[in-house]
Amino acid sequence: MYAKEMVKQSLPLLIICGLGAIIAGNTLGAMIQILQSIPGLIVVIPAIIALRGNISTALGSRLGSAYHLGIIDAENMWNDDFKQNIIGSLVLSFIMSFIIGIFAYITSIFFNVYPNPVVLILIVLIAGGISGLILTFLTIIIIYLVFRRGYDPDNITGPALATFGDIVTMGCIFASALFVGGFA
Amino acid sequence: MIYSWKTIVKHGLPLLTLCILIEIFAGQILQSNQQQLFLIPVFLISIPVINAVAGNIGSILGARLASGLHLGLIELSVNDKNMQKNVITSLLIGLITYTILAILIYYIAYIGNITMNVGVTAFVSIILGTGIILILIISLISVLTAFLSFKRGLDPDDMVAPVVTTVGDTLGIIFLFVIIGVVGV
Repeated sequence: MYAKEMVKQSLPLLIICGLGAIIAGNTLGAMIQILQSIPGLIVVIPAIIALRGNISTALGSRLGSAYHLGIIDAENMWNDDFKQNIIGSLVLSFIMSFIIGIFAYITSIFFNVYPNPVVLILIVLIAGGISGLILTFLTIIIIYLVFRRGYDPDNITGPALATFGDIVTMGCIFASALFVGGFA
Repeated sequence: MIYSWKTIVKHGLPLLTLCILIEIFAGQILQSNQQQLFLIPVFLISIPVINAVAGNIGSILGARLASGLHLGLIELSVNDKNMQKNVITSLLIGLITYTILAILIYYIAYIGNITMNVGVTAFVSIILGTGIILILIISLISVLTAFLSFKRGLDPDDMVAPVVTTVGDTLGIIFLFVIIGVVGV
């Protein structure tokens, strides 16, 4: 419970995570034009970033616990328990992305903003799905590397996924908005 | 086999849906104030940073409190010295992190030729003001969530991170607009 150790161990990691967030922020800054042309798009941004964080850190910490319980390890990683965890996260990503799109559309109407529901839901669904796939893949790689080196996954996966998660998610939503916006 | 994807989805959905509903509210605040953000994009760039730092510090504090409670090093009392020390350290870390990142954001945007419409002192003061109030409130919420969940026999480790990040995202955006209004850009 020493405060000094908290500063020493957390501060560098916080700054690194902050740098990741600056990259995500600059992606958001680069999106101003498309945010102006697609009403409702800005509404989904906090939700989709939070969703990615919640789903991938939960996956990371479940795999961490599974490692401690001896259910998975470096030699025996790709087993049924591992696959169920991956499928669970991906299914959650798709369902929740859809819900985000619906919520954003309905609540916007209360504020007298009328987004195109198909465009909005499609953008979130593509961005949520693809970022889910990329981050799941990244989680697998991180977990594999952590196992091989014998580190405790609980100390590494959370911050690592939080940092990559913001960047990957913002990139995916930018690309998806450009793609869907191009057809609309 | 211990895990099943159906259970993971079933257990995840209620809390995630609640979090998303609050995040959508945060998004609506962004949408109502979007003209201001588009006019001074450096604040738009700052939003993920403000939220990420507060969420991380709140989660670290919560995890430390949870471990302390589990080990019996922290008692369920507002006067607990270890708890207070952890809160004060979180504030200090927040202060340092926000200062460094605010300066970085400003000069990266400056180099990137982004429309500024705000001086470096005003910008850093606004981010720092938002950050300190945010960390103060987030620390209180973190302590409250950790203590209440521990008291009810729930594991604080499961509760603090989602609560703190979700509430932090919404409050961060609200505080930013309030402080921008107070400082007057």
